[in-house]
Amino acid sequence: MAQVPSLDWLDPARDPALFTLVVLAVALLAVTVVFSVYAVVLRIRNDRREQRRTALAARWQDALLTALADSEKTPDLHRLVDPNRQLHFVGFVLQFARRVRGEETGLLRDIVRPFLGSVVARLDSDRVEVRARAVQTLGTLGLPDHERRVIEALADPSPLVAMVAARALAKEGDPQYAEFILAKIQRFTVWNRPYLASMLAAMGPEISAGLRRGLADPGLGAWARSVLAEALHIQRDFVAGDVAAGVVATTDQRTAEERDLLVSALRLLAEVGRPEHVPVVRARLETHDVAVRAQALRALGRLGGQADLPLLVEALDDAFAWSALYAARGVRDAGGRDFLVEAAKSSDRRGRLAAQVLAEEGAR
Amino acid sequence: MSELFWSAIGVFNYVVIAYFVLLNSVYLTTSLFAFGALRRYAERLKSLDLTELIGSSAALPISLMAPAYNEERTCVESVRSLLTLEYPDYEIIVINDGSKDSTLERLIEAFQLEPSSRIPTAEVPTASVRQIYHSQSHPSLWLIDKENGGKADALNAGLNYCYTPLFCAMDADSLLEPEALIRIVRPFLEDATTVAAGGILRIANGCLVDRGRVVEVGLPSNLLAQFQVLEYLRVFLSGRMGWAALDSTLIISGAFGVFRRSAVVEAGGYSTDTVGEDMELVVRLHHHFAGLNLPYRIEFVPDPVAWTECPESVSVLARQRDRWQRGLWQTLLRHRGMLLNKTYGKVGMLAFPYFFFLEMLGPVIELLGYVAFTITIAAGRADALYVTAFLAVAIILGGVLSLAAVALEELSFRRYPRLVDLLKLFGLAALENLGYRQLNTWWRVKGTYSALRGRQTWGAMTRRGFRTKERGEVV
Repeated sequence: MAQVPSLDWLDPARDPALFTLVVLAVALLAVTVVFSVYAVVLRIRNDRREQRRTALAARWQDALLTALADSEKTPDLHRLVDPNRQLHFVGFVLQFARRVRGEETGLLRDIVRPFLGSVVARLDSDRVEVRARAVQTLGTLGLPDHERRVIEALADPSPLVAMVAARALAKEGDPQYAEFILAKIQRFTVWNRPYLASMLAAMGPEISAGLRRGLADPGLGAWARSVLAEALHIQRDFVAGDVAAGVVATTDQRTAEERDLLVSALRLLAEVGRPEHVPVVRARLETHDVAVRAQALRALGRLGGQADLPLLVEALDDAFAWSALYAARGVRDAGGRDFLVEAAKSSDRRGRLAAQVLAEEGAR
Repeated sequence: MSELFWSAIGVFNYVVIAYFVLLNSVYLTTSLFAFGALRRYAERLKSLDLTELIGSSAALPISLMAPAYNEERTCVESVRSLLTLEYPDYEIIVINDGSKDSTLERLIEAFQLEPSSRIPTAEVPTASVRQIYHSQSHPSLWLIDKENGGKADALNAGLNYCYTPLFCAMDADSLLEPEALIRIVRPFLEDATTVAAGGILRIANGCLVDRGRVVEVGLPSNLLAQFQVLEYLRVFLSGRMGWAALDSTLIISGAFGVFRRSAVVEAGGYSTDTVGEDMELVVRLHHHFAGLNLPYRIEFVPDPVAWTECPESVSVLARQRDRWQRGLWQTLLRHRGMLLNKTYGKVGMLAFPYFFFLEMLGPVIELLGYVAFTITIAAGRADALYVTAFLAVAIILGGVLSLAAVALEELSFRRYPRLVDLLKLFGLAALENLGYRQLNTWWRVKGTYSALRGRQTWGAMTRRGFRTKERGEVV
């Protein structure tokens, strides 16, 4: 009969270091097994879940399409939703809702209305991501029933949740929601300005008056006003020229936010300004700030005329490439095309600028 | 003398054990952080509507900068793939870095490129630009033809002619997933101080590619490539995700990263005197912005994917690892002032010391450790039980770390749909510690030697091409 090998060497009292090493090896081996089993179990569980979801989605989809075509069939769809699958069903409908607008969104909202209670409960979760998802769902499928909760979410301690709420309200395009977003806009300073501006602009011309009021209000702060100027720029709000000119004329250039406001206001002015705004633009050409000067040149090119050609031609030699490029475009827009054609014959910087701007003209 | 030698060997063995404990503690810690961060990220993605972003006028314009050097076989297909990306506003700038083959001619012909004028908006020094071309068939496509100056120089040329606030640095032969840009730009929208964001690289060997897109994911048949699949999972999902969770991203792969143009120009562009220009740029951005106490963020985003082909031969892989190690040395020594410097926050106090002591010096310690252990055992001065137990711990721990990465993949993105691939990855986790890891250590030691000698060459990277439906093999 074979002898069992002695394990005396594993006595912790005899050699604690060796004992520790062996215990560590065994523990790690156990962790290895746990990880392997965990990964395989995850795989099997996820595959099964996916299969179940696909099967459910197939059942729901037919019934959903039928209910969309005939609202009287909605109870048939509701009967297919198991009580413990309500959140899943709402998520399923949310995917549809992201792709539709208008009347169909309303129909989808009617369909999920009985199931939104479980989503509302998730607004009180400690986890930021869960709250964000709940706000997004309610913002898409729960308005106007749950608008109070979505508006309250603008004040959520998490910037992510607040932003999701703002996006959902903005997407709705209702001017009354714009007021709530604008009231909280200082919460979003960390976000990218063009992104916020685009979000506001997408709410449509109904909110332009509010944007103009905000832009004209020095009490709102330079950062927020620059967002509003960018939004008006995206909207091409032709009534905003005077407000923009006022901002350009009166804004000091002491802080980075004020500089950004000036840049945004000049950009807006270039888009919607009129020739009578040219003097305030000219006054900004003297600045040493390259971004402000570049936008001033751009605005001058758009709004100015033959009288401004000498200024624009001089700026073709500006060391800052953007200023030179805007000046060249300005020369073209102010009626100096012949000058550019002549300049393009040269291979120096002016010549290359002229050639580029003329090529852009061809591409338009 | 003899006793002194054995004392030194004994002390060194303890140094190796300390290095081993420290290194694996860091790996375990980053894996744990990555676990939490990935879970949160997966939840967060649910509240993000990508289609809304894609359709938004707010998506920041991006220039894709693809340096190309002797890429005549793949350049047209790669550019076609770039033209199909789902992003509202982007330009493609291909930089022909003095190719000696017909890269330029092929691109000119395929995309009706014609000489054009475009003034530079920055003045980062580069090798001479011969001509700018603009596509007549695809208005968003530009080509810069320049004298050869290396990848960093080509990227600098692209930077000079970049007109968008963001640019994406990539390899000409990387395949970006259609949604990659919209996913990677998210940190720039959510935080205006973001200056750089890196995506994840995945190995395309073994995958099926159709019209520039990976349509079927699978493990490669080549064992060396299989090891690299596992390695990339570990590096990106456990390592970079973990470091990102600690706000200490120190590397963004040159094959796929998005940067704020003004920030990179302000920092001086890519460094042309290092072979690790991608890491050097990120470290320099930290050095620059943290040094000036300016607000900034550098992010890693785990779901935008660039597929890349990895080496399948020992010689090419050896050259690649040699170059990576040299790049690491050059970068860390150049910015050594950041080491344990509180000015640089967590980067200076955590990430930099980790890369400096464990990644840069580690391979040398590890290799000498193998030698010292072997000598100790051969001389009969080590207890066989101790040695066996220690080796068992080392090998199993290596396996645990790799398995953790596989589990993270399974928990998050599950890109390998076949169960057999998952099981293969388990096997690879055990196998890689028996040879592949040691080979890697050897290559990195050679890289260290090359760095100390001041070697600057890149070394040729031979590519097989992607497996496609049409040819069943390569493009």
